Amino acid sequence: MRLSVITMNRIVIIQAFLFLSFTFGMVSPAFAGEPQDQLRQTTDKVLAILSDPVLKSQNKVKERRELILKVVDERFDWEEMARRSLARHWVQRTPEEKQEFTHLFKELLERVYMDKVEGYSWNKISYEGELIDGDYAAVKVKVFTAKDQTIQVEYRARKKGNHWLVYDFIVEGVGLVNNYRTQFNEIILKSSYQELIKRLKTKSTQN
Amino acid sequence: MKKFNIELAVGLFVFAGILCLGYLSVKLGKMEIVGGKGYEIYAIFSNSGGVKEGSNIVIAGVEVGRVKSIVLENYQARVAMSLPHEVKIQEDAIASIKTKGLVGEKYIEITPGGAEKFISPGGKIRETQPSVDLEELISKLVFEKI
Repeated sequence: MRLSVITMNRIVIIQAFLFLSFTFGMVSPAFAGEPQDQLRQTTDKVLAILSDPVLKSQNKVKERRELILKVVDERFDWEEMARRSLARHWVQRTPEEKQEFTHLFKELLERVYMDKVEGYSWNKISYEGELIDGDYAAVKVKVFTAKDQTIQVEYRARKKGNHWLVYDFIVEGVGLVNNYRTQFNEIILKSSYQELIKRLKTKSTQN
Repeated sequence: MKKFNIELAVGLFVFAGILCLGYLSVKLGKMEIVGGKGYEIYAIFSNSGGVKEGSNIVIAGVEVGRVKSIVLENYQARVAMSLPHEVKIQEDAIASIKTKGLVGEKYIEITPGGAEKFISPGGKIRETQPSVDLEELISKLVFEKI
């Protein structure tokens, strides 16, 4: 009888312990959802702008783009993206050159991705989880298009203050930074940094 | 006395043969004795795409190291790579799994970054890209058309 009381006590203690660890276990993912939450807010804002009927008319295209850019600006760390894309060649640049390059790089991304953002008929976006490692996080997202295709996107973000800022994203296994890093490196090694700037400038005047 | 000499000669000959064989198998198998030279870093890939132990690590097309081990960790592939000491990897370097040609063997390419900090031995390459599944991409293209 006495023995069974002891075992009963043990079971209660174990259960209490399990319960505690379970509740704490439950708390941490909600807290850890920060990067995903912030990214979701930005995406929701962009989607709201895209689906706004007032902004859909042809003469509002510019206004709509500016609105989208403003939202995206808050979430993307353009300088970090530019730095990572230029990689080894970034260190050799003067502060003015860095600024100029960041600006041109941002323009390049705007041109490339704005059409895609506007053109896609986004049906649904599902968040497939996130991985947090200190100040770094990866958020996995699945985009469902109207044609019932899925596109897998992985955002890489870094914490700055209270904000998680995106510095890279990977679409279907192809990374943005890696892609531009290879291209820029090739252009710089073949000709020069000035040539790269020239190319980026001519591209931006084309549109 | 004479018999003893012949036995000794044969023994030495066999011993030398075994040594040669050992040397050959280490060389050909590209094995490392006592840890080898260099240091080890690791990277986590969501899909290792068939990279094997001994697969090449390449920077700018140059073979610099080998894959030491691949284990499943948290349903992802943890790939340990061994690199020589003179090859330093920046913190923001990107490791991606590539295929030689269209259907060739898999290897890991590291695109060097621009960070001033280097990854220390035992450290982790944070930025990785999984192997791109060509078959899957093609099937996506095909099914969109239908």
